[in-house]
Amino acid sequence: MLKNSALIFGFNNYSTEIIKNLKNEYKEIKIYSLDEEDTHNEQYDITHFDLSDNWQDIEDDISIEESIVFCVLEETSENIFLVISLRASYENLSIIAVASHKENANKLLMAGANKVIPLVETTADIITNMLENPISNSVLHEILYEESDLKIAQIKISNESHIQDEELSSIDWSHYHGIVVLSLMHKDMSSEFIYSSKAKRHIIQEGDVLVVVGYEKDIKEFEKQIGSNRYVNWSNWSW
Amino acid sequence: MFTKMIVNFAYFLQTSKSYQSKKKFYRNLLDNNKYKYKKYVDIFMVSLIFASVAVLIREVKHPLHDYLFYFNSYVISIIFFIEYLLRFWIHSDMSKIVVQRAEHDSLLSRDIKLFIIFKKILKVKLSYIFSLTAIIDLLAIMPFFHELRLLRLFILFRVFKLFRYANSFQTLASVLASKKFEFFTLAIFASVVIFVSSVLIYVMEANNPDSPIDTLFEAVYWSIVTISTVGYGDIVPTTFEGRIVALVVIISGIAVLAFTTSLVVSAFTEKLDEIREIKTIEDITKLKNFYLICGYESVAQDVAKKLKKHNNNIIIMDAKQERVEEAKKDGFTALNYDPGQVESYKKIHINLDKQVKAVLCLREDDVANVYSALTIRSINRDVFILSLLMENSNRKKLQFAGINKVIYPQELIGLITMELVGQAVAFEVIHELRSEKSNVNITEIAITQRILDNYSTIGELGNRDYRVVLLGVQKHNSKHFYFNPLADTLLEVGDFLLVIGYKVFVKEFDKHIHTKVKNA
Repeated sequence: MLKNSALIFGFNNYSTEIIKNLKNEYKEIKIYSLDEEDTHNEQYDITHFDLSDNWQDIEDDISIEESIVFCVLEETSENIFLVISLRASYENLSIIAVASHKENANKLLMAGANKVIPLVETTADIITNMLENPISNSVLHEILYEESDLKIAQIKISNESHIQDEELSSIDWSHYHGIVVLSLMHKDMSSEFIYSSKAKRHIIQEGDVLVVVGYEKDIKEFEKQIGSNRYVNWSNWSW
Repeated sequence: MFTKMIVNFAYFLQTSKSYQSKKKFYRNLLDNNKYKYKKYVDIFMVSLIFASVAVLIREVKHPLHDYLFYFNSYVISIIFFIEYLLRFWIHSDMSKIVVQRAEHDSLLSRDIKLFIIFKKILKVKLSYIFSLTAIIDLLAIMPFFHELRLLRLFILFRVFKLFRYANSFQTLASVLASKKFEFFTLAIFASVVIFVSSVLIYVMEANNPDSPIDTLFEAVYWSIVTISTVGYGDIVPTTFEGRIVALVVIISGIAVLAFTTSLVVSAFTEKLDEIREIKTIEDITKLKNFYLICGYESVAQDVAKKLKKHNNNIIIMDAKQERVEEAKKDGFTALNYDPGQVESYKKIHINLDKQVKAVLCLREDDVANVYSALTIRSINRDVFILSLLMENSNRKKLQFAGINKVIYPQELIGLITMELVGQAVAFEVIHELRSEKSNVNITEIAITQRILDNYSTIGELGNRDYRVVLLGVQKHNSKHFYFNPLADTLLEVGDFLLVIGYKVFVKEFDKHIHTKVKNA
């Protein structure tokens, strides 16, 4: 389930891009900046904060625990300090942080961020994929980011699903027209490619998540056929 | 009448495509280091030189077989003579001189003066004949006249021809030439010392019956052997005065030797970077299909390393010396040239159309990237240019500069976060597919005629047997991607299959579709 609000710490190009993409996903998006001058910004409503552990001012305004937090301060040391402060105060908070390099990304993960996006490596990956695998890159890009009919979806097996208790390899997926099943995520959150030897002998249980690619209408049809629904879980991430 | 005939003939040669292309071919073959077949000619000629010297050495103590004698005296000499004539021909363009003079005279409404034309041609051709390399070439042909025994020694001149074929000799000569003045000064000093000491030692020793120095030649020989610090000891001064002269020559010899060594070392040190750069440029000229990366900052470093892993050739160009050094340390071919200067591309002699896969402007500075892109566009309209964008407000400027693909990292972060919060697992799966570290990958397989000979439809490929997921096919004519195509979808040459699976299974599947023979 998506949380109700998003808190963005840091006001810069990253935060504006995040806001642009998330404004329809959350009821409320709050921006906090270390620079008091940013609070005069006319386009965005920005609140000043400091790196002391006093979260009460923010808590008065919004429930931090019920929000997703983005840490995008430009100064890496400050960003790490912010993540540590937040994690120390809120054990179950979902924190996404942006790091310049993989090295800083590791530090942020150690500081308690759930997910870190290393900027340089991610950009380099995108550029390399674009040049070396142009077709797969454009298809995957379209599936992930563009407004295309082709979607990737995660479907959680419910207790009513008729494929429950069946062996994964015994299911003929071609019955479900227009769907390609890519992987399976076990209850314990370990993920397996559909043709891996482990997945082959796996008995489908309630709570397993299937990752499928297909056109929107085919995915809906698939959901109906197997009796399960799309599901989002993002409390356990791994990079 | 005669003049008119000559002028007409010159015009004919100038406009004759076959004549000009033949001349160009031979010019490339003999003189153009970048011409791919020149090295074979060089190897052939060097082999002939060594064969010739080997024959000469054998001849000293062994009687020579007739066939070796004829091979050495005639075959090799004739080949060298043909080479000499070809070089004489391609050295200058006589017909061009005639045409230029004829046009010049007719423009000024003057009669064409053949005498002036011949004088000009003679001057140009003589400049070739009396060049050092041409003289060596001519002397190398001399053993052809084998009746003259002395001329046989001219075979050794063939060794000097090696200078023409080995680039390192030319580099050595150019390095030493840079210290011409210093070497000249040294030579004068050494000559004066040799002259004075030879005369002195002759005067002191020649009349002494115990002294081995009897002639002026022996005195000069002793001086040179001593000043060079070789000191054979076959001739030594015996008088007190002669030994004093010897002391002076020995001390001068140390100075000459030290000075010569330091000159050679300093010449090489000064020219070392230049020599390396010339070598790098030569290597780049020979490269096919490489990525040209402008700038070597953090994103560029990562991109270069990733592209290198995919066995791509990469050339890095950066105006800042420290970044170039860093690129070199990382094992890349890097040049300290400004990517924003047309001159830089001229210097490295690259063909952007044929040699460069894509130009990547990866400076973390929009101004520098726009500048580089515009420079490249001014040279070539078609090469694919990808650039980083640091400030979204500059996007239009980058597009206006002719950049084909703009990468804005901040925008990527926005898209990724959206996907992360919306479909975390799906995002992870796709991220894993793209990651090189993961075992499961997405791979593109091109449909070739060989595959098509065995399989005409998607259904026949049998990807499921190889535990490979077929995500879809991109048709080559429509460039449209067909997701999860039906089993009876026809395959065509140029289509691309997009498959997902463990690397090892995908490899097996790829091998299988390439090797299976129908009805076998």
